[in-house]
Amino acid sequence: MKPFARFMVKSAYVLNGSASYKAVKKFFYNLMENNSYRYKKYFDIVMVVLILSSVIILIREVKYESHDFLQFFNDYVISIIFLIEYLLRMWVYNDNSKIIIDRYEHDEFLQREFNPFKALKAIAYVKFQYMSSPSAIIDLFAIMPFFHELRLLRLFILFRVFKLFRYTNSIRHLLSVLTHKKHELLTLLMFAAIVVFVSGVLIYVMEANHPNSQINTLFEAFYWSLVTISTVGFGDLVPKTEGGQVVAMFIIISGIAVLSFSTSIIVSAFTERMDDIVENKLIENISALKTFYLICGYTKTAQQVAAKLRRHGKNIVVLDRDVERVKLATSHRLKAVIGDPGALASYAKLGIDFKEQVRAVLCLEYDDVSNVYAALTLRSMDKEVMLLSLLIHQHNRKKLLLAGVNEVIYAQELVGMVAKEFSGMPVAFEAIHALRSEQSDVLTEEIVIDEYICSQYHDVGDLDTEYYRIILMGISPVNGGAFLFNPDAHERLHNGDILLIIGSNVLIKEFKRDLHVKKRYR
Amino acid sequence: MKKNALIFGYNEYARQIASQIASEYERVHIFILDETLRHQAESDGFRVSIFDLSDEWSEIEQEYHIENTVAFCTLEDDAHNIFLTISLRAEFSHMYIVALAKDTEGINKLKIAGANRILPIVQITANLISEILEKPVVTNVLHNILYEDSDIKISQITVAEGDSVVGRNSHALSLKEMYNLILLAIVDGKLDTNFVFTAKGFNHTISVGDVLVVIGLQEDIDRFNQEIKRSRG
Repeated sequence: MKPFARFMVKSAYVLNGSASYKAVKKFFYNLMENNSYRYKKYFDIVMVVLILSSVIILIREVKYESHDFLQFFNDYVISIIFLIEYLLRMWVYNDNSKIIIDRYEHDEFLQREFNPFKALKAIAYVKFQYMSSPSAIIDLFAIMPFFHELRLLRLFILFRVFKLFRYTNSIRHLLSVLTHKKHELLTLLMFAAIVVFVSGVLIYVMEANHPNSQINTLFEAFYWSLVTISTVGFGDLVPKTEGGQVVAMFIIISGIAVLSFSTSIIVSAFTERMDDIVENKLIENISALKTFYLICGYTKTAQQVAAKLRRHGKNIVVLDRDVERVKLATSHRLKAVIGDPGALASYAKLGIDFKEQVRAVLCLEYDDVSNVYAALTLRSMDKEVMLLSLLIHQHNRKKLLLAGVNEVIYAQELVGMVAKEFSGMPVAFEAIHALRSEQSDVLTEEIVIDEYICSQYHDVGDLDTEYYRIILMGISPVNGGAFLFNPDAHERLHNGDILLIIGSNVLIKEFKRDLHVKKRYR
Repeated sequence: MKKNALIFGYNEYARQIASQIASEYERVHIFILDETLRHQAESDGFRVSIFDLSDEWSEIEQEYHIENTVAFCTLEDDAHNIFLTISLRAEFSHMYIVALAKDTEGINKLKIAGANRILPIVQITANLISEILEKPVVTNVLHNILYEDSDIKISQITVAEGDSVVGRNSHALSLKEMYNLILLAIVDGKLDTNFVFTAKGFNHTISVGDVLVVIGLQEDIDRFNQEIKRSRG
């Protein structure tokens, strides 16, 4: 292999295997292209501010003498920033090292000599694909500095304004709506162009030789017909001959038609695409959530669970294939998406990160088949996520467990146990029930002993729970040992232990605050 | 404590209730609307009778002492269940009636129909689910105390005439130090109101008829009980 080819292949492998190179590239990709990346919006804001400042500088130059610093900022600083952005976008567009490696391994496999120029050609082709995309063309022109000596170059400011499209979602949505009706709009535009052309020619023929006429050139004729067809009608040019006025009548009627058609096309495009736009926005919002519970099937049980979790300030996303139930969930101010919980495509559409975002998935359909299917689908995507499911018929319990459900909730058995407990010890049951339902002021709470608390409080006696009138029911040890009931004052606390306490809401809050803020010395 | 349990209906809920409460009552009697479920109920070991909603209830009145009887209304259809509840209430003003409610709408209707206790299926399930998610340790511990065979039990102790605890301050009982028990709540026997949690900082002088709700190991609870009895004797 020639030295150049060897160098190329070697560097491709180095880059491909380098974690830091990939991390940097991923960072820039997220920053510029990934809408769900948290910091992208800050990048977008900076770019929008740069664009607006360059427009303001240009406007200021029209009437006032240009300021050297502003001139320099506009011509060089902004342009260079835009150039860097353009190059970065081109860089993250694809992976060159992969192209080289693929081609090299392909050639090796076929026992052919690796041709570096073919690889370069492939790379150039991909990069050209990027460069020829409309947004990349706009970016390229927006880099051009508009030196004030050349007035025409100021037109390039337009490209900087166009560049705004990149950074504002609403404009992108508008464009996507309009491209949806591209064919209809193009037809209408063709119609309008033909009308303008024909009437322009006609009015020129009718008016140009008339002594009182205001329309004397072909340019004036086209200008007049465009102003008239758009129903703007400045009135600076008016036909004087009878023939010209007939043409005017024709073009006015066509103008009304063009205007009303284009309005109706745009409105219908919006109504057709509105659901998509709303859903896209919703999906964007879901990607932005830090953590949430995913509920599959918005049944009555799900409604109550969601209401309770929401009261605790938790985020909830509902996935249901029934349109009515999704509407209901939306009216309950939940983020609800139409989709089959048993289909991989539904989760792909949502674009959620199970590891980072999902606290637990709740399969709450009143139908074991649906729950098993949804659980299997979810397990096939993620092995770790906590799955909780309702069980409707006892004989399906094993199937749910096989599908990978962590917690199976069987309402019938639960009701039976509740019935037993209050039959045996009604008062005790009521007490526990009141504690759990959180309807009284007294409640149970879990407190995790963290490193700080551990450093300040060595044993149970240090916690001084009596001062807060808190009952320390027990400790769930960090090492996974048995629950330690009613520990005595000398019991040591460990980082990660969970305290189970009972107390009044206000005092629990005070206790928790003091645990994290200071050690009380008395 | 009530001695007899009458269960109306024999769906999966009724079946679970019947099997769970069988040990708590002297007699458990299943009433079903038609013959289809008779075999299953009988093979589960229960006495079974047929009833219909327009029926006269004189048979029940003759056989059971109503004040010692609990009725569980667990019919499949909410409307039927409410009708059953109101029929029982119309006939027996002192009967303790427990009714299943499938959804929130049913809860109020059953209350008006005269049910003493309502088991709202959806709410019970939803509460458990949200607890499992938000407070797993609490749920696990309380669930074990209530329903499973854990070492730690919850128990209610009614204070009787001559018990050593009578006249003592609840705070001065030192249940924790002496018996390793937690005094969770107290029901004032005189006032016959709802219980009060000791965690509210409630200081109460214990009198006859009060009910103490304690949590602890079974042996500690037994020891505490025996000491009260000993002083009683």
